[in-house]
Amino acid sequence: MSTTTTTQSSAAERSFIDRLRASKFLTELFANRLAVFGLSLIVGMVLIAIFARLTYDLDALTRTQLSTNPTLESPTAEFWFGTDKLGRDIFPRVLYGAWFALKYGTVAVLASTVLGIAAGTVAAYYSDITDNVIMRTMDILLSFPALLLALALITIFPESWGLWRAVAALTLVYTPRFARVVRGAALKVLEDEYIDATEALGANDARVLVRHVIPNCLAPITVQSTLNFGLAIIDIAALSFLGFGASPGDPSWGMMLNEGVKDGLYLDPSAWWWSFFPGLFLALTVLGFNLLGDGMRDALDPRMRETV
Amino acid sequence: MISKRFVAKRLLLLVPVLFGVATLVFAILQLSPGDPAVTIAGERADRADIIEIRHRLGLNEPLWEQYVQFLWDTVNLDFGESFKIQPGTPVTDILADRLPITIELAFLGLFSGLLFGLPIGILSAVKQDTWTDHLSRIGALGGISVPIYWSGPLLIMFFSIYLGIFPISGRIGDFDIQARTGMILIDTLLVGRFDAFLSAVKHLFLPVVVLGIYSMAFISRMMRSSMLEVIRQDYMRTARAKGQGSKITILKHGLRNAFIPVITIIGIQFGSMLGGSVLTETVFSINGIGTLLVEAINKSDYPVVQATVLVFAAMYTIVNLVVDITYSMLDPRINQ
Repeated sequence: MSTTTTTQSSAAERSFIDRLRASKFLTELFANRLAVFGLSLIVGMVLIAIFARLTYDLDALTRTQLSTNPTLESPTAEFWFGTDKLGRDIFPRVLYGAWFALKYGTVAVLASTVLGIAAGTVAAYYSDITDNVIMRTMDILLSFPALLLALALITIFPESWGLWRAVAALTLVYTPRFARVVRGAALKVLEDEYIDATEALGANDARVLVRHVIPNCLAPITVQSTLNFGLAIIDIAALSFLGFGASPGDPSWGMMLNEGVKDGLYLDPSAWWWSFFPGLFLALTVLGFNLLGDGMRDALDPRMRETV
Repeated sequence: MISKRFVAKRLLLLVPVLFGVATLVFAILQLSPGDPAVTIAGERADRADIIEIRHRLGLNEPLWEQYVQFLWDTVNLDFGESFKIQPGTPVTDILADRLPITIELAFLGLFSGLLFGLPIGILSAVKQDTWTDHLSRIGALGGISVPIYWSGPLLIMFFSIYLGIFPISGRIGDFDIQARTGMILIDTLLVGRFDAFLSAVKHLFLPVVVLGIYSMAFISRMMRSSMLEVIRQDYMRTARAKGQGSKITILKHGLRNAFIPVITIIGIQFGSMLGGSVLTETVFSINGIGTLLVEAINKSDYPVVQATVLVFAAMYTIVNLVVDITYSMLDPRINQ
């Protein structure tokens, strides 16, 4: 009976310390003007994405508008971002692109985070052979430049998957990074005495990992996810740009850049608006995640805190 | 001094990694849908033809025999013949033509990134929290956030189409230069054609800028944080206390130590230069192995896909090995 009370009180103590640390983390984060700017960029893009998803009809955005709109019109009061070769209004397409980027980016990041957590904690907890098998596999995946591995992996998945093909390939590419971060953090947590205590109380492996190890590794995981978000959005668009992802006509930023560069760049004068606006929104979104991720890392790293 | 044992150990570790890489590439192609024999013969080919091709490629052998054969061929740098891109040509020949182009581009990108990234990072650290620092930090984050397939087209539109300063695409103008190394800047100099060299410089300028921006941004960030850490070390304070001017202190004591962690990311940077070369080559229509890979995937030219991916991974692994060894030479603490 007495053991239970001790663990309970130490757990309560711990969660209190965690809360204290978390609040300090948030104060630190919000004091960083660049991080706040990054966060507002992301919030802005999320709002744009939701607005576009609710307002526009995807079919209408994809269809050619040759009969109603002028083609290759430079930005005007009616067509803010101009029109493309098929007469499609670029402005709503760029807004809808935010929905595409955030939706597919979120799935790629979440999937690789979950896979990375599973691989990393299992490797750290079981050590020896399991650890070696998992981490050496991860090392092999890490011996390829990321975009090239994604290109190679994309051939496995059927073309009919469209953008999900890019998401699936990139999930496998990102998983090793998460696995490494999680394994490192989990090894530290596993040294703590409360893990021994939980085990002594008869908790099974799954309970130890899910209830105690993973929650205590969340900080580094969150930073890695945020930084990886920008990368995922840039890489998904890159694969679409190269022709392995979004289908022609899709209002995804990567596909718009593909069409804008292929068909618009070498026109004289070039139809700059065709690729300029999708790329601008893409770059701003990625910048937002990079600023926020950077700020989070600084706020978590005590060495950084001392200097500021 | 660097111990021979350390180098030998690192070289030995290369073997299982490359073995794993080859296995993964073999697995990826086994998992890819579609029959290579049908790809070669075409959709409407005779059944007999397809059976004949399957036999010739050894596709009827058990999987493990194909695997062993694949490993053996890879060790001998025999990647078979191209199916579609240049049917019948040994893949090794195609790679020999196009690999130097990508290597030249990736190295120039990395080099220009170092050339500008290091001083910017140092300056940013020394002038921490001033406008110089803020500007260079925002610039660096911007550089990482801007995709190559956006900055490239924008630069082409402005400098090549609007201003007409640089050529739009390709590697060189109308010159007949015999390829010796395959790297255009070196080849033109070897034959002493300065006009051709100048043309190549003009052609490569924008692609290198696009690649360089990315690595510059990354390297300057790393250099800044590493330098900041070093500046706060005790030995720096001691040096200042001994009366050395702060500039000399930074140069003599700081740089060498701050540079060490930066070296480790040069290998990773080289990897992103290789990945970036796929995009850069596509944007600027340069015939390196980046565009080769994209074309090969599009045409299901499996031997070419296989070889290109292997070569990319091998280059990346070997550069990282060289970086590791250099690192241990500069920091004896690593070398155990």
